[in-house]
Amino acid sequence: MVLENYVILETGVPGRLHFFDHVIQARTITDPITGGPATRHVLIFEVDQFNGKEVAAKYSIMAEKHAGQFKPYLDDKSYRDYDFVITPVGEGFRRSWSLQVLPRK
Amino acid sequence: MARKSKQVEVRMISEYLKERYSGFNFTLNVPLGSVSERLMAEEGYQRALGLARPFRPMVDAVVVLPHYLLLIEAKVWNVVNGLAKLPLYKSLVPATPELREYMPREVLMQLVVGWSNPNLERMARSIGAEIHIYSPPWLEEVVEGMHKYWTREYRDQREKKLAMREFFGVE
Repeated sequence: MVLENYVILETGVPGRLHFFDHVIQARTITDPITGGPATRHVLIFEVDQFNGKEVAAKYSIMAEKHAGQFKPYLDDKSYRDYDFVITPVGEGFRRSWSLQVLPRK
Repeated sequence: MARKSKQVEVRMISEYLKERYSGFNFTLNVPLGSVSERLMAEEGYQRALGLARPFRPMVDAVVVLPHYLLLIEAKVWNVVNGLAKLPLYKSLVPATPELREYMPREVLMQLVVGWSNPNLERMARSIGAEIHIYSPPWLEEVVEGMHKYWTREYRDQREKKLAMREFFGVE
């Protein structure tokens, strides 16, 4: 679903996204373990298609494990040439993401 | 030396796939094996897959080639574990609902590593798996660090560092 311009993926439910731009932002968050402030880098994609529909939304990634899946596509913005089907699995530290990479015809 | 928590293997497999199989449909972190038919009947196909997900083994990647399905495990540290998993994962492919649409295809196995050795290659041959070495400069640094980890020199340095930490009361 798209909530306040952010794409939110439900656990276990695949979502098909197309990205056209990205930015890496530093954000100050409250660390869930220490309760103190901590700085995290967040990868934010601009989404123009979500599950086959035109949207103007963002997809935000804080987990290094998930961001690492997109690393090879960032420098040359080659993610524009693909659709990505993302399925989040599990919760907390055990969370992982299945990522299907589909070349655009 | 890079920590395991730096997600080196995620970057490794993602880069490798983009470099080698970018023209093909591929998926990272694919769950394998059957899902209870009763669960599917009760919850519906999609929801049953989601519920069963945490309890199914996951292969690092599956590449859909015209006549083959390629299972890939990428390992920097526990290379033998990666190799040993491949034939077990292969046995689950025919029962995997998510891969049904691509069958029948012959299933190939590939282990992607930063380095190899004759024993690893011998083991791979014995189970019919291929070994591919992928070592871009950033990964070479990681592999070099890993090899140094077991040297006397590195152990001495580490002990010295731990002693200094204890002396200064640094956690």
